[in-house]
Amino acid sequence: MKPSARTAEQLDARALARRHREAMRRRARRIRRSVAGFALALFAAAFLVVYVQLASGNDPALVANGAKREAAALSAASDTESSAASETPGGGEQASGESSSSGSEASSSGASAVTTSQS
Amino acid sequence: MHTTDANILATAVGPHLFWLASRAAGIAALLLSSVSVCVGLLIGGRLVKGHRQELRVTHEALSLATLAALGVHGVTLLGDAYLHPSLGDIAIPFLSGYRTLWTSMGIVAFWALLALGLSYYARTRIGVQRWRRLHRFAALAWILGIAHSLGEGTDAGQTWFLAMTALAVAPAILLALARLLDSAPVARAGNSNAIARARDSAAVTRAGVAR
Repeated sequence: MKPSARTAEQLDARALARRHREAMRRRARRIRRSVAGFALALFAAAFLVVYVQLASGNDPALVANGAKREAAALSAASDTESSAASETPGGGEQASGESSSSGSEASSSGASAVTTSQS
Repeated sequence: MHTTDANILATAVGPHLFWLASRAAGIAALLLSSVSVCVGLLIGGRLVKGHRQELRVTHEALSLATLAALGVHGVTLLGDAYLHPSLGDIAIPFLSGYRTLWTSMGIVAFWALLALGLSYYARTRIGVQRWRRLHRFAALAWILGIAHSLGEGTDAGQTWFLAMTALAVAPAILLALARLLDSAPVARAGNSNAIARARDSAAVTRAGVAR
């Protein structure tokens, strides 16, 4: 009687252990699936945030680059303006004669214009 | 009208798609690794009773997802037309000329995480105790990764990014502190027990010699 009862208990225990193992396997599969879903959702959300940031013109890298480019363009423009200005009134010694002569020409032509309008 | 706007938007964003994907993958990796570190600390510490098997599976899945996200972060950068890095630039530390220190920090963190993460599958070969000691360095690699994202990340100056990083990092730091405080008395007790045992055995030996 006893050995057969023990075998039945053992069989029960084995079946219970198998059920536990299967339940754990199912739980593990569910956890893995949810983590994969969570990771994909995280990636999609981060992509959306960065995309919207860029599309709305607020991307930090592009804004910084744009600012740098604007600053460079402004400094280049001011350089050309200052060089042009220095050329006209006689910034360099070589150009001073030419510029003074052109300046006198301009002033004389201006005077003639005034005179013609007056007349 | 709407289609024209969409077309303009697509044209503006199109050249940056790889860069956007890389940034998104980096952000995802940062968050996933932080959660993974938290779960790892929960397993190692004694804060959570039971559910160890579920926590272990979650930690494993999060670590693998982190590695996948880091892979995407690096590989998509290869397609970026502005930076145009080579495979060596994204895989070998101190090779890239672009913010060399921060880039290298990220590369080292990736390799360390890959090695320490995948060593889990060889822990019986390595020896479980040795593997556990080694696995603690994963937290260091995680810290390197955080430093990389704050030092080089395009969005590092943005409020939302800093708030997100703080939210992700703070629980892990608190858990690490809790674990350190929890393990310190145990270690001290372990040391004193070992000393007591050594004294006892020495006394027994002396007594044996005296007899």
